[in-house]
Amino acid sequence: MANISIRNVHKSYGAHEVLKPFSLEIADGEFIVLVGPSGCGKSTMLKILAGLEPASGGAIHLGEREVTDLAPGDRDIAMVFQNYALYPHLTVRENIGFGLKMRGTPKAEIERRVLEAARILEVEKYLDRRPKDLSGGQRQRVALGRAIVRQPLAFLMDEPLSNLDAKLRVHMRAEIGALHQRLGVTTVYVTHDQIEAMTMADRVVIMRDGVIQQIADPDTLFQRPDNLFVAGFIGSPGMNFLSADVERSAGGASITLFGNRIAVDEARLSGASTVIAGIRPEHFRLGEGLATFAIRPSLVESLGSEKYVYFDGGEHMVAAGESEDDKSKGLIARLAHSGPMAEGEGLVLSFDPAELHLFDAVSEKALR
Amino acid sequence: MNRTPLQSLALYGTVILLAALILFPVYWLLVTAISTSAELSQLPPSFWPDDAQWSTFAKVWEERPIPLWLLNSMLAAIGSVALSMVVSVLAGYALSRFSIRGGHSLGLFILTAKMLPATLLVIPLFSIFRNFGMIGSLWTLVLAHSTLIIPFTTWMLKGYFDTIPRELEQAAMVDGCSPMGAMVRVVLPVATPGLAATSLYAFVLSWADYAYARTFLVNAPGSWTANLGITTMRGEYTTDWNEISAAAVFVAVPIIVIYLFLERYLVGGLTAGAEK
Repeated sequence: MANISIRNVHKSYGAHEVLKPFSLEIADGEFIVLVGPSGCGKSTMLKILAGLEPASGGAIHLGEREVTDLAPGDRDIAMVFQNYALYPHLTVRENIGFGLKMRGTPKAEIERRVLEAARILEVEKYLDRRPKDLSGGQRQRVALGRAIVRQPLAFLMDEPLSNLDAKLRVHMRAEIGALHQRLGVTTVYVTHDQIEAMTMADRVVIMRDGVIQQIADPDTLFQRPDNLFVAGFIGSPGMNFLSADVERSAGGASITLFGNRIAVDEARLSGASTVIAGIRPEHFRLGEGLATFAIRPSLVESLGSEKYVYFDGGEHMVAAGESEDDKSKGLIARLAHSGPMAEGEGLVLSFDPAELHLFDAVSEKALR
Repeated sequence: MNRTPLQSLALYGTVILLAALILFPVYWLLVTAISTSAELSQLPPSFWPDDAQWSTFAKVWEERPIPLWLLNSMLAAIGSVALSMVVSVLAGYALSRFSIRGGHSLGLFILTAKMLPATLLVIPLFSIFRNFGMIGSLWTLVLAHSTLIIPFTTWMLKGYFDTIPRELEQAAMVDGCSPMGAMVRVVLPVATPGLAATSLYAFVLSWADYAYARTFLVNAPGSWTANLGITTMRGEYTTDWNEISAAAVFVAVPIIVIYLFLERYLVGGLTAGAEK
């Protein structure tokens, strides 16, 4: 096990810079998740860490050792690939032991460690089968077995669960979490799935267009997003955004949302004249509250114990962030309500202004 | 999908017709070999001889140096396949995996070499081999056939390597292999069906050659390949077509045996299970 230090690593293909200078200190035993939409540079960063792609600049240290220019096999890392990358011509036993064999480990030791890894991952029964005779979940376990058997300094995982069905994904997510708890190996995990990121990570690195947007633990990301992108990316359904002009009077600064005048601390605004207010769907409540307004739902989706209520946000609605929700549906309120609720039927909603997030309309940075 | 009886009839009818078209020359070769010369010249021809002359095969085998010709063809083909596969595995892998400046153009240039007819290349090749004093040696065939085979096999293998996920090599490199080690230990075993198909194709190309053998070896009877040897069986005034056909059957047998041996490797799907 070791800490990982990434200092100003960047990557360009010709004039196209796919990864802007990237710096990150990963503590020994930490579980770091790189998350972001397709093309954000997260997989490129992981491949540079593994030595499968050369960096255009910067330095990587694994423990005390600089590994920037070392071959993948000399870095003492293990990697789990999105498509498992099991060797199809070898049995499960040979697949798991391949890395040890390449390092000249004695046969008896290979056998002992393969059996131990197989026992941990519960694939002992399949040791003499070939990958094609295994289910998706079993293949994923074998891929994990190949990684843990070497007892490397760090695990790198490139979207390892994205080929599994939803149920198995949840199961394997928990298993990887438990494996990390048990082995305590420093892990860098890449995913585009924010739920994986939020549930597994000690810290999450959110990336967009090759640039780190925020590095924080999951709760901080959710509660204190640094910018509009992070606010829109984290949370499902995504945060609602509305643009609002700042009104300044003798009584102080304020904005108007859904007809409610909401006082805002001038110090927080940094002189901004227009802000983007963000409110999470779960922060809307049914009935009157501190800021109350009436809506007519354009769509109601029932999830049993709760409902997703879509309504028109008017001209001030901002389609920001990279949330996968359909912006054309309008704003969304996530209400804990199991009773009947019809589209087009008047509803009264409210929210607590203290739960509003404010962002600069120009820089899109959070105003705190 | 369920087929109607009419669709089944059309399908099987087409298959049988195509199989008959393809197999008829083979059947006719065999009929010619076991017919007498008199039967061969009669009209209308008989589709099976009244008195099958199976002894023609033994006669040809004993009277003509068929084993030597087959051995020469085999040596030339094995040499050509070995040389071509070494070159085209490395070239095909490089074209598939590495982005080299001008790599695509280089790949196409290799392929254009195959577009030139053998009869065009035979003259400069003859000149080169004569300057090196190689005319009459089987090595000329190994080298000449390789120039024909390598362009095609390089592209065949490039296409096959393209289908093998790069992650397999990346996993092998993370596991401690060098790039060359990853190719040898992981990519080549996975590419076995592709290698088998390509080798068979290369073998057939060399085995079927006549023009190069005729040009480079005609004055060296000890180096004659089977195809060249058979053409010498035509007499000045009469030709025993049954004997020529019997010799042709001997030439066809090794290819059929090799195909039967490689057939199990030709079946794809070895990569099944490597990925999701």
